Amino acid sequence: MNSNIFFRPLLYLDPGTGSFIIQILLAGLLGIGVAVKVYWKKIVSFFKGNKEDSNLDRLDEIDEYGGDPKISNVDG
Amino acid sequence: MNQDVSEFSSFRDPSGFLFKSEGILFRQINNSYKDDYEHLMSSGLYDDLIKQGLMVLHEEVLYISAPQPSTAYKIIKPQEVDFISYPYEWCLLQFRGAALTTLRIAKLALDHGMILKDASAYNIQFHRGRWCLIDTLSFERYEEGKPWVAYKQFCQHFLAPMAIMAYKDIRLGLMSRLFIDGIPLDVASKLMPFHSKFRFGLLTHLYLHARSQKRYADKAVSEDMKSGKFNQQSMLKLFESLRQTVKSLNTKLDGTEWANYYESTNYSEKAFEEKKAIVESFIDLVKPNTVWDLGANIGEFSRIASKKGIYTIAFDIDPGAVAKNYIQVRQDRDMYQLPLIMDLTNPSPALGWAHQERKALVERGPVDMVLALALIHHLAISNNLPFEKIAKFLEKICKYLIIEFIPKSDSQVAKLLKSREDIFNDYNIISFESVFAQCFEILKKHAIPGSGRIVYLMRIK
Repeated sequence: MNSNIFFRPLLYLDPGTGSFIIQILLAGLLGIGVAVKVYWKKIVSFFKGNKEDSNLDRLDEIDEYGGDPKISNVDG
Repeated sequence: MNQDVSEFSSFRDPSGFLFKSEGILFRQINNSYKDDYEHLMSSGLYDDLIKQGLMVLHEEVLYISAPQPSTAYKIIKPQEVDFISYPYEWCLLQFRGAALTTLRIAKLALDHGMILKDASAYNIQFHRGRWCLIDTLSFERYEEGKPWVAYKQFCQHFLAPMAIMAYKDIRLGLMSRLFIDGIPLDVASKLMPFHSKFRFGLLTHLYLHARSQKRYADKAVSEDMKSGKFNQQSMLKLFESLRQTVKSLNTKLDGTEWANYYESTNYSEKAFEEKKAIVESFIDLVKPNTVWDLGANIGEFSRIASKKGIYTIAFDIDPGAVAKNYIQVRQDRDMYQLPLIMDLTNPSPALGWAHQERKALVERGPVDMVLALALIHHLAISNNLPFEKIAKFLEKICKYLIIEFIPKSDSQVAKLLKSREDIFNDYNIISFESVFAQCFEILKKHAIPGSGRIVYLMRIK
C-alpha cells in the first residue's frame, strides 16, 4: 500500500497539487532570492547601522540553534 | 484494562494514535509506519532531536496490550507535556519560536535522510522552557526529487497567521480558532495589505502559493512532479527562504492596553511588594503542583510560583503583556512558566471533529491553584458578571484560590466606573464574601496595607 496520501491518484480534488507545483517553480528562484536578500541586508545595514532587536536575536538563537545547553527536555 | 482513545486528536494519522491506559499516555505505532519508525531510531535523528531538546522522549514498552492489535507494530510511552496550548493562545513571538523550531527540525531530519511530513502548529509545544515536537510519528524517509509535503501546512499553520498578525492586527491570532487546519492561503492573501506583496517571501509563499493552489485545484500530482526536479538543495533553500520570511515579520510590541500597567498604576511600590509577600505565603502554605494565574499581565505573580518549580500558566487577554512576559520567561530560562493569551469572558472552546480535537480551557484543568489578582473588578464591573457566576466558574477549575477583592474606593475601580453608570450595588466586601463562601471555604484573609484591597486564600468545599 502506498502510505503517502499526496501521491494517491484517487484523490480527485487534491489541494496539495498547487503547493507542489509552486515549490518546483520556486526551486530555481529561491537561490537567487536568498542571495539577493543577504546582499540587500548588508546594504541596508551599511546605511542604517545594525538596529536589530537584541532580545529577539537571543530568543531566535535558542530556537534556531539551541543557544542554551542548560535547557533540555529531560525531566529534572 | 481501561484504555481510552477518545480524548485524542491523532485519529486522522494512519501511522498510529495516542491512547491512555490507567491514566498514562501511550502511542500505538502501526505496521504501516514500521520502516519510517525504524529509520527515525537508527539514523541518529531521534538521538539528535532529544539531545537538542527538539522532541519529547519516549520509551518502547511491552507491558501494554495494543488497542488495535491487528495493525500494531509497537507501543511507545512518550513523555507527557504539562499543558497543551494552542496556536490561537500564542502571541506573535511564540508563533515565531514555534515556526523557527519547526524549520530547524525539518532541516535536521533532512540531514538524516528524513522529511518532516507534518508541520502542524498543534504538534509543537512550549515544554520546559523551549519549543519541541510532541508527535514522534511526524517523519518519513526522504525521497530525492519530491517537494516538501508539509509546505502547504507550514504556510497555513504558521506563515499565514503570523503575517496577518504582523501586518494587520496582533489580535488576529484568534483567527486560528476559526480555521482549525491553519488559515487558507487565499483568505490570508485577501486580508494582507497590498504593500506586503513587495516582500519576496510573502509574495511567493503566500500570494503565488495561493494562486497556484487555485489554478491546480482539480489536478492530480503527476509522475513528472516527483522525478527529481526538486532536489535536496532546493529543499534546503525552501527551508531557508521560509526561515527568512518568518524572521522578517515585525514582532515589535506597541503600546497595548496592559503592557504598561505596572508603570502606570498608582499603587505604591511598598503595597505591591506587600501583596507579593502575601501571595507567596499563601502559595507556600498550600504547596500546589500547578497554578493558573488568571489576568497575569506580565507575570509578576506567576513568577513567584514558577520560581518555586510550580508549573504555572500565566493567562492574559493582552497579546502585548503576554509577549513581554514570554520574553522575560525566555531570558530567565524559566522552565515552569507558560504565558498564554486568554480572554476569560470567552475562553478557548472545544473545537474540531465532534468537539474532540482541541480541548476547551476548562477541560485542560482543574488546576491545584488559581490566582485571581486584580481581576474581580474587571469581571464584575467591566463585564457585568455577578459574583455567583464568577465563583461557580472558579470552583470548576481549581482546588485552591487566591483572590483579591478590590473595593469601589480603589482608583482602578473608580476608573472603570467613570465611563458608566454605577449599577453595582452588590459590589461590596460583604456580598463578595457571602457569595464566595457558598462554593469556597475562606482559609486566610489579608489586607494589603495602604490600599483597601484584601487578598483571600480559599479552598473549594
